[in-house]
Amino acid sequence: MSASTLSHPASAPGGSSSLKLLLPLLRLLRGLAILVAVFALWEALVVVFAIRPYYLPRPSVIFAALWQTPAPYVQGFLRTLTETLIGFASGAAFGIGIGLVFFRLRALRELVFPLFIVSQTIPVIAFGALVVLWFGNTLFAKAAIAFYLTFFPVTVNTLLGLESVDPRQEALLRSFGASPRQLMMRLQFPTALPQIFVALRLASSLALVGAIVGEWFGDTVGLGVLLLQGMYTENVVSIWATLLVSAFLGTTFYAVVAGAERLFVFWGAEQ
Amino acid sequence: MGHRDQSGALLRAASETASSTAPAPVSAQPPLLEMKALSKRFGPVTAVDGFEAAIAPGEFVTVVGPSGCGKSTLFNIVAGLEEPDAGSILRFEGRSCHAHELLGKVSFMPQRDLLLPWRTVIDNAIIPMEIEGQPRKASRALAREMLPEFGLAGFGDQYPHQLSGGMRQRVALMRTFMFKRELMLLDEPFGALDALTRTMMQRWLLEVWRRHKRTILFITHDVDEALFLGDRVIVMSARPGRVKLELKVDLPRPRHADLVTSPEFIGLKRIVLEAIEEEAMKSFLAPGATAPQTDTPE
Repeated sequence: MSASTLSHPASAPGGSSSLKLLLPLLRLLRGLAILVAVFALWEALVVVFAIRPYYLPRPSVIFAALWQTPAPYVQGFLRTLTETLIGFASGAAFGIGIGLVFFRLRALRELVFPLFIVSQTIPVIAFGALVVLWFGNTLFAKAAIAFYLTFFPVTVNTLLGLESVDPRQEALLRSFGASPRQLMMRLQFPTALPQIFVALRLASSLALVGAIVGEWFGDTVGLGVLLLQGMYTENVVSIWATLLVSAFLGTTFYAVVAGAERLFVFWGAEQ
Repeated sequence: MGHRDQSGALLRAASETASSTAPAPVSAQPPLLEMKALSKRFGPVTAVDGFEAAIAPGEFVTVVGPSGCGKSTLFNIVAGLEEPDAGSILRFEGRSCHAHELLGKVSFMPQRDLLLPWRTVIDNAIIPMEIEGQPRKASRALAREMLPEFGLAGFGDQYPHQLSGGMRQRVALMRTFMFKRELMLLDEPFGALDALTRTMMQRWLLEVWRRHKRTILFITHDVDEALFLGDRVIVMSARPGRVKLELKVDLPRPRHADLVTSPEFIGLKRIVLEAIEEEAMKSFLAPGATAPQTDTPE
């Protein structure tokens, strides 16, 4: 339900009537109300059944911890966000680019695509160790792991989208004398866009996973680091606080991507 | 069987009158498009075999035939999308040419409207001009001026999914008209519309054609439509497609809705129907005659 709350801001691009502006606001309020209700229920359950804080701390305690020492969480949030964004952006750009190249050059695709698949069968943990050897404990090591997790679904979906072009539509544009470049810009790429966005939404959460896993290989700042520290010191409240911050980061990022999708693929209803 | 013989006699008579009248426009003006011995095979299937026709500038020629007779193959060749087999002769503007040289020279409108869902009515209409490299702003202004003529006034900034089937078809036609070429190829443009919308669109198309003075080659499987619109009707044989009958439609223009009930119209319709029926029976009875997918995509 937190997703529905957070995905709201982009749900009505260019709302013209007052009703269109009011509707998302109501949806936001409803989402917030649900969120508050869930936390209240959680709090009540912990109190009523006397659940030990080791297993499930009260949300009020978690929020108090966040309130009292916000610095590590804010720092961690910003650091992990940066890693995620760099990994996501490079993975998306590379995935779309290589998808376009594979679409044009079938021979290259048959040569290189199997290597891509093999690369994806390597567990991210094994790959992580290698990345640390290459990049050290830098921000780019984490971004590289986020990249590694994101580029493949984007490549596959870009190819799928490009291949879903209606051949009759292509024939029509060719009969107007369209060049391959014009076909790409005016028909093939826009046709692939809905499919590409499906992958981008998936990639948005994968990039966050990549960044957090990357931090486990060694760093001093980041949400992944906070999780590890919480685990070693058995600081349950800190683990839960980091978890909530990660959830906030993940849903917000997903919502932004979904919002961009609604903005760019506004004709989706027809497909 | 007796009925069959009778219709055969009628057909022969019709072809004679057709052949005596057909060369007239050809000798008057060099044909815009000329096809001779046009053939196309797809593996074991011969779609078109020895098709011959000449279309004079400004003429409105309709092509009718039973389903799966190679009409669409014929159109794809003339649109430049498909090469005919060796030995076929294709002449455009008096010059013999390959089919692919016709790409960008013929304005082609397929059966489906094929509008791009992410473009507004105006932007869909100007696609051919954009591809030609004309400035967008001027093209848009031109398209906006043409909207009322195509019954789309006030709909310029709508997206295709907001329009009815008839309107979408008019946008597609507008796109075809904006691609200013001598020859227009219309492949069953009204096939998906209901009967009422269809007759209105036919009259409207004649009106637009009269004003814009283009040459039109129009595919249909509706005999009424073929006769109502055309200067000349070409009836194609069952697969493999060739010319079964060429009939001049000497009915006065402008044509009105009540034309279809006049005795002259009925007389012509009988000739065409008998020719088509004979061919339809042939393709129906032929072994494995279910039309291969290449010819009837929808």
